[in-house]
Amino acid sequence: MKYRCPVCMFASLPYPPSNYHICPCCSTEFGNDDTDFSHRQLREMWIDNRAPWFFGNPPEHWNPWTQLIRAGLASDVPKEFRAVSFKSSSVAVGGGHVMAFSHFDQNLGLVSVAA
Amino acid sequence: MLTPYVCVACEKVIAAKDDVASLIGLFSRLIVTVPVEIEIPPNAATPKEWAVFSIWFVEPGDEHGEYMLCTQILYPDKSQFGEITKIRIKIEPNKRSQMTMQFNGFPIGQIGEYIVRTWVEENQQRVFGPIEFGLGLEIVRQEIAQTPVKASSDST
Repeated sequence: MKYRCPVCMFASLPYPPSNYHICPCCSTEFGNDDTDFSHRQLREMWIDNRAPWFFGNPPEHWNPWTQLIRAGLASDVPKEFRAVSFKSSSVAVGGGHVMAFSHFDQNLGLVSVAA
Repeated sequence: MLTPYVCVACEKVIAAKDDVASLIGLFSRLIVTVPVEIEIPPNAATPKEWAVFSIWFVEPGDEHGEYMLCTQILYPDKSQFGEITKIRIKIEPNKRSQMTMQFNGFPIGQIGEYIVRTWVEENQQRVFGPIEFGLGLEIVRQEIAQTPVKASSDST
């Protein structure tokens, strides 16, 4: 059984987040660190430190920000990562040939297609 | 054999009951606006929802196969972002298959062209593809205007 860290949201803790177990991702020692600080405060400290992996090598393709986003904590991602806008058209593939829609300065808005 | 009819990136897909999909905000590039003094770390990801929408031609007999649609996102330096996403392709006879691969974040740690690579697997063997398209990412540096500090009047 896997458990989720309530601080960094790492979802593969081998032990429950209690009894002095330490999260390999954010280094929280449960029953110790979280007696002095709330989980939210510990998360903020981890994020302020750029959310590094704590123990050994992280899982392949691990990313702390997608870990938070998937756990519904997108608002905890630093705000400088959030000022993103999508622009222009996209690319279509048909009949084995790559076709690009014409590019526009603005989003194409809404396009409807039927299968 | 499944063959691609369309494959696009967009902000949102709304699927109606009559198999008409509305694609909102087709895009080919992203612009990240950050203050001049802020460094974006290489592993940064933005919490933005987007999707890869595709339609596939189906041939008679394809409905008996168990096909998986696989999507991989590559950084401009060709390293992989996140896991490869796999979803089962629903196939009905004589009907094109529509697939929406939903993502809730996009990597922003490198400037340049990200690659969205898609292929079809059957029994964990690639049977079609990959097909791929690029999504460019730019970072715009913005000076933050200083708000003038109002001088306080001393009332004493």
